[in-house]
Amino acid sequence: MIVMRRFRNLPVTLRVPLITAALMIVLALVASQSVLGALDRVQDARLSETARLHVEGLSVALGPSVLRQDVWEVYDILDRARLASDGQRLLLTVVADERGRVLAATDPHRAPVGVEAAAFGDGAVAPEAVRMTGDPVLRVTSPLQYQGRTIGGIVTELDVTDLLAERRQVTLWLLFGNALATAVLAFGGWLAVARILRPVGALVQAMDASGGAPRPIPHAEIPHGDPGLARLIETYNQMTTAVEERAEAERRLADRERFVSLGRLSSALAHEVNNPLGGLLNAADTIRTYADRPDVVRQSAELMQRGLGHLRDVTRAMLDQNRLDRAGQPLRPEDFEDLRLLFEPEAHSCNIALAWEVQAGAEALSSQPAAPVRQVALNLLLNAGTAAGRNGQVGLKVSNGGDRLSILVSNTGNAMSDADLRRLLASGPLPPGGGVGLRLVHDIVSGLGGTLHHDRAEGRTVIRVELPATGSGHA
Amino acid sequence: MHTRRSAILAGAAFCAAPMVLAQGTTPFRFALTPVFLDNDAAVISALRAALGEAMGREIELVQRRTYQEITGALLDGSVDAAWTCGYPYLQHRDQLTLLGVPIWRGAPLYQSYLIVAADDAATSLADLQGGAHAFSDPDSNSGYLVTASDLALMGTTPDGFFSRSIFTYGHRNVVRAVAGGLTRSGSVDGYVWEVLNSVEPGLTARTRVISRSEDLGFPPFVARTDRMAEAGVAACAKALQGLGQTDTGRDVLRLLFLDSVAPADPALFDGIALRMAALAGG
Repeated sequence: MIVMRRFRNLPVTLRVPLITAALMIVLALVASQSVLGALDRVQDARLSETARLHVEGLSVALGPSVLRQDVWEVYDILDRARLASDGQRLLLTVVADERGRVLAATDPHRAPVGVEAAAFGDGAVAPEAVRMTGDPVLRVTSPLQYQGRTIGGIVTELDVTDLLAERRQVTLWLLFGNALATAVLAFGGWLAVARILRPVGALVQAMDASGGAPRPIPHAEIPHGDPGLARLIETYNQMTTAVEERAEAERRLADRERFVSLGRLSSALAHEVNNPLGGLLNAADTIRTYADRPDVVRQSAELMQRGLGHLRDVTRAMLDQNRLDRAGQPLRPEDFEDLRLLFEPEAHSCNIALAWEVQAGAEALSSQPAAPVRQVALNLLLNAGTAAGRNGQVGLKVSNGGDRLSILVSNTGNAMSDADLRRLLASGPLPPGGGVGLRLVHDIVSGLGGTLHHDRAEGRTVIRVELPATGSGHA
Repeated sequence: MHTRRSAILAGAAFCAAPMVLAQGTTPFRFALTPVFLDNDAAVISALRAALGEAMGREIELVQRRTYQEITGALLDGSVDAAWTCGYPYLQHRDQLTLLGVPIWRGAPLYQSYLIVAADDAATSLADLQGGAHAFSDPDSNSGYLVTASDLALMGTTPDGFFSRSIFTYGHRNVVRAVAGGLTRSGSVDGYVWEVLNSVEPGLTARTRVISRSEDLGFPPFVARTDRMAEAGVAACAKALQGLGQTDTGRDVLRLLFLDSVAPADPALFDGIALRMAALAGG
């Protein structure tokens, strides 16, 4: 099972040649079996023929001598037959008389005249039935017929060592040849399949490349000879274009989000700009009316200076928030002051109690880039403000511990919806509806190598952003 | 070596054939027993060539399996002369006359050997009791009579003494039977065993001689007494005794490991006669 699973995990360019090799081995086994089977039949036929000719020849020659019980004649014939055959195949031939006693044998030491011949017939078969059994010595027996009656019997021991060796050699050659052929064909199969599957490999590589951002395959690499594969790659290229377009749209949406967040503040900020304007106009009137009274003019001028200073701070905060070229600037405590300046009017307009606490010192903050952190904090504050609603509470706490900066944004509003949580915490596709502010937070924090945590306890929603002190990536 | 020589001799015989055919229409029939070196075709060819050349007529060499057949053919006139054994000669002494006797190692004598397998512990005939024994021919002196008469002197017979006795109709066959283990022992012509020891040492090495008989008359050439006056028979005797004087004759003698053929005295076979008497008496 494990092997099967591992096999399934192998690349297709390896699996196909392996399957080819396995099929070749099966084919080789079947072919070898067939060849060996044929060899067996040939050898059996040869052996049977040898045994039959030997026995028949001896029967003809021995008949009269056996009938006369002429020991010498029988021995003489056997001995000359043995010498004629060079003793290569026929190991021992025993001739028995009618009573089953040895009349003579090619080797009288093994089969002395007069002993029971039955012992030599153990396991012996008729010449036409003799088959290779793997035993180097086979025994053949046949009755000795003369003038139509049985006058004795012949038992012959055949030496088949050479046939066994031949079979062994054929087996070895088959094994060697088949192994070689299988290896060559498997290698060829691998080459062919690798070549056929090269576009698929390129497709997989293109899909895996550049951290999940699919890149299109160049037109030159599309195999136009294979219409199916060409269509597949063209479809893939179209998909990559679509994905790119979608990513571009998301990027544009994220950029716009910056302005959206300011837009959401615009009403409160307009009040923030408008309110001092009444005081400034009054101060200007006072100066004009009491131009000759230096104390009143000085007092009014101070009033105007304070009002204009406030206006300058607000506009600077707005400008800073909008300026994209501040990406390289380090984070400072003043950035959080700016955020407070931007968010406070919104909070006041909704009567939201704001708990603002920046514990982290300038040194701890400076290890973070200003623009992305400001965007993250502002988005979270705006979201918290919306969630907290009228008379709610919103808190911001910036602290540093160890090697990380922690930004906590809390509110007393309703719990976040699943869709919002997915936007904030997950990397999957954006759920339909809703803005992209939370997803922008997620993307920026990921880009900075930080983490986002959500907690809901005692009617408060707490979003905690953890940023590593050495955050190098910029959103 | 023998093969080449036999080819030369056969060639010589073939060249001489037209000449001998011109001199006589019926060939001279000379009988041999396979008791001797029947396996050597070279000997047969050389002998035919030598006799043909010396006698000036075609020779027909007749081979029979047993001495009995040879003797029968000789007596009924089927063959004109024969190389037989001292024992059948003595059995028909009244009808047969000696044409000559081979000289082997300087004398017209040979011995009968009792042989066993090389690894057999037996040292005498008495040790062989109960074993199988190979004789060459019931009418052979060295291949039967000597051992049978020894047994007769011991008060027994081959059938009673041996578990089984077989006749192989050839001295070489006796050696084969003992060497191959078919029989435990054998009675063999000492001359044949010694010749085999020279030409087939591998065969005789598997046997061991455990006893040798006394010297006995060498197997002689014989013809029917009543035909001794015939020119052919006389020429045959002359040709045999003159083998040492021609090249072809000397080839035959060398192939047979013999020195020459000499005129023979019937008294040469007295030893065999004694054996016969012992067998008959036993």
